[in-house]
Amino acid sequence: MQLTSLGLVRGIIGYFVGLVIGMAVVVISRLALGMSAWDQEAGWVGGIIFAMIGFMLAVGSLSDWLKWTRGVETPFHHGPPVGKPAWTRYFSVDYNHKVIGIQYGVTGFLLLIIGGSFALVFRAELADSGISFLQPGTYNTFLSMHAWVALASILLGVGGLANYLVPLMIGAEDMAFPRLNAFAYWINVPAILTLMISMLFGWDSGWTAYPPLSLRGPVGYQMVFWAIFGIGLSSILGSLNLIVTMLTMRPKGMTLFRMPIFCWAILATSIIQLTATQLIGLAFLMLSFERSLGMPFFNPLYNALGENIGGQPLLFQHLFWFYSHPAVYVFVLPGLGVISELLPVFARKPLFGYRWIALSSLAIALVGFLVWGHHMFTSGYGEYLRVVFMISTLLVAVPTGVKFFSWLGTLWGGRLTFPTPMLFTLGAISVFLIGGLSGPILATAATDLFLHDSYFVVGHFHATIFGGFVFPFFAAIYYWYPKITGRMYNETLGKIHFWLMTPGFWVMSLAQMTAGTMGMRRRIADYDPALGVEPVHLLITLAGFVIAFSILLMIYNLFVSAEVGALAGNNPWRSRSPEWQIPSPVPEHSYARPITVVGEPYDYGLAGSTYVAMAGAGDD
Amino acid sequence: MLKLPQSSTDRKHFVIVGALVLVTTIALGFFLLAILPVKAQYSVQAEPIRWLFQLHIWLIAFLFSLVVVFMLYALIVFRKRKDENSEGEHFEGNTTLEVAWTVIPLVLVIIFSFIGFQTLQEATRGSDEVQVEAVGFQWAWTFNYPNGVTSPEMVLPVNKPALITLRATDVIHSFWVVEWGPKQDLVPGMTTRLHITPTEVGEFKVRCAELCGLSHWSMLATVRVVPEDEYIAWMNQKLAEQNLQTASR
Repeated sequence: MQLTSLGLVRGIIGYFVGLVIGMAVVVISRLALGMSAWDQEAGWVGGIIFAMIGFMLAVGSLSDWLKWTRGVETPFHHGPPVGKPAWTRYFSVDYNHKVIGIQYGVTGFLLLIIGGSFALVFRAELADSGISFLQPGTYNTFLSMHAWVALASILLGVGGLANYLVPLMIGAEDMAFPRLNAFAYWINVPAILTLMISMLFGWDSGWTAYPPLSLRGPVGYQMVFWAIFGIGLSSILGSLNLIVTMLTMRPKGMTLFRMPIFCWAILATSIIQLTATQLIGLAFLMLSFERSLGMPFFNPLYNALGENIGGQPLLFQHLFWFYSHPAVYVFVLPGLGVISELLPVFARKPLFGYRWIALSSLAIALVGFLVWGHHMFTSGYGEYLRVVFMISTLLVAVPTGVKFFSWLGTLWGGRLTFPTPMLFTLGAISVFLIGGLSGPILATAATDLFLHDSYFVVGHFHATIFGGFVFPFFAAIYYWYPKITGRMYNETLGKIHFWLMTPGFWVMSLAQMTAGTMGMRRRIADYDPALGVEPVHLLITLAGFVIAFSILLMIYNLFVSAEVGALAGNNPWRSRSPEWQIPSPVPEHSYARPITVVGEPYDYGLAGSTYVAMAGAGDD
Repeated sequence: MLKLPQSSTDRKHFVIVGALVLVTTIALGFFLLAILPVKAQYSVQAEPIRWLFQLHIWLIAFLFSLVVVFMLYALIVFRKRKDENSEGEHFEGNTTLEVAWTVIPLVLVIIFSFIGFQTLQEATRGSDEVQVEAVGFQWAWTFNYPNGVTSPEMVLPVNKPALITLRATDVIHSFWVVEWGPKQDLVPGMTTRLHITPTEVGEFKVRCAELCGLSHWSMLATVRVVPEDEYIAWMNQKLAEQNLQTASR
């Protein structure tokens, strides 16, 4: 089998060919305009744009659309590629949403490991005071990369869950736009490649890329800006696809309030992604153009009197956070949806207050757009804005509380069992609770003036992100693993993973918050031992390594169980959801015949009730 | 052993949970206060911050206990036992509860908004009895006084309200003396302000609190709070030194 038969390989070749062509275009244009041939900023921006296009062409994500421009028909090919091993479909353009879901999920998991490893490196450095092996310049690059790689892993993980599960949950054959779906996955790959290349040049601002700092310094910044542009494009296109799919492809009988609750979570998430992502694209584009073309957005310019008649650094912060706050709800709403989805199955009773939970996701999405200024309490913006954003931020607690209390209502009176997916669901609740409860301290501006840019914030957002995404993601992987592979994971290993990771995370979160109240700043390569935080840092580092080790156990579990795990059957969890009424692993065409919804999704415990009628069930 | 009713609406459950929530709240509150020591303490502005933080801790202790006690209780009492009818009680919701746990948090939000507003006023209030300008640049600080004195360390008289004006010449920095409480960013092209009334004599560090490049981690300067007469003496000495320098050119 030829290596270039793999889309990924062709894509990477296309990337580097495009890079050279793009740089050549810039050089030639500059010479034609009478400028010097090479400018690092312009050269790399031009190169990266052509590189990303080159990848997308070479991987094959544009070929059907290009054929349409020539009037050529492109009938769908369903199934593994002809004449090549079946696994190659995961490394090439494939239009089946289940394949794309796996591609998203595995890439996301890989990025989680890479991003996490960056953290392990600088956590090892921070375990004691004094600079041991990681010089400050490299430290700044590692911490910045940790953030963007981890955030990319979350976006891809969310994409994986949504793409794999949403069509299955609504009995749909596939997503509304399969080719767009493949494109939206693949654009992430050259974007991530570009992000990794930035490390060769370095950049030192943290993921937030505030100017003026991000307007100076190495060309690594440009790679970050354009990488994020690509990942953002994936968010926008993927969310569009999901919204259209959920609104137009539900089966007979599935009113919106009879959709699985996870779909509501994805609906709210997609609305945010579709409408907010443009703002970070804009903000990063402005940084890129100020660097490469001199457009005066953010750098101040002083007149003879010393007054600023130029750009405003604060403008960037508003544009950036207008996306980046709603983005955190993109990160956590799907995971909270997974929690709502799994609890009824393992409690064997209805989801408590389904409609309130569904609407709370939309409420969080809405209010989430109104709070961005709480990232800027110390920024120097108008003092009255502190009050406005404090109030709006505190409000988010209300719909979030509805979820927590509804989960308690779901557990209460149940017949609970605790296989690994349920353990991770409960772990998620506990960790998200810690993160969420530390929020109001940062929402009231006075306390934030003390804690902003301290390790308390680091504790807050890692707990909310792990509780809202990583723990539910792991719960989802364990839960749907039998559906995807047809085999059960190893339950003992799963439990060990849980019992290492969860207490480890509680300890790490609390220790980070402690360091913050003791005066430990964020994003510093070394700290003053006089603060007394050294033992706290050792604890954080040890906890981090325990968490990392536990994830290695999970990876081992997933790989080995695919070979030797017990056969799972169609429905090991006795779930009412549509995807559990079809074979495991799911066949190429998920639903042989259209399904009809004849009852409520979560009527566990109601004798004789059914959720979906599998058309023709009983015929075979 | 206590024989617990299986029916989820039996009042016994809520009595036990209520008691456990009360005990856990108190224990957790003291635990959190112990492990989250707020280093802000040596200024007038730090006081409302400490007070509000501790108020938050008690609310957090209560809410955490409420959720976790109910959850752990449910995990134990409502677990599936062997040879048991394996479905749970079938109820879909409870509108009264839903309204209650929407409205009560909303009321808490309103209360905390008021308290937050008050403490913000107190944490940012001050006057300009003493004035100093702090200039931040990659990667050090300079302090300029109105009478022309310039110094690499900041000296302030204790118990006098100071207005610190902040300027950055290159990238965004942030002025933070941990023991004083609040911080304020320095933004190129803008002048920002911080009101601090130091209440303890001592030597502290101002540390840059906004990532500003390679040596952000070590962008520090010494800050000394001294009795007023010592401040005046220091000022006069600096003036004399600077005048000698100007005179000798």
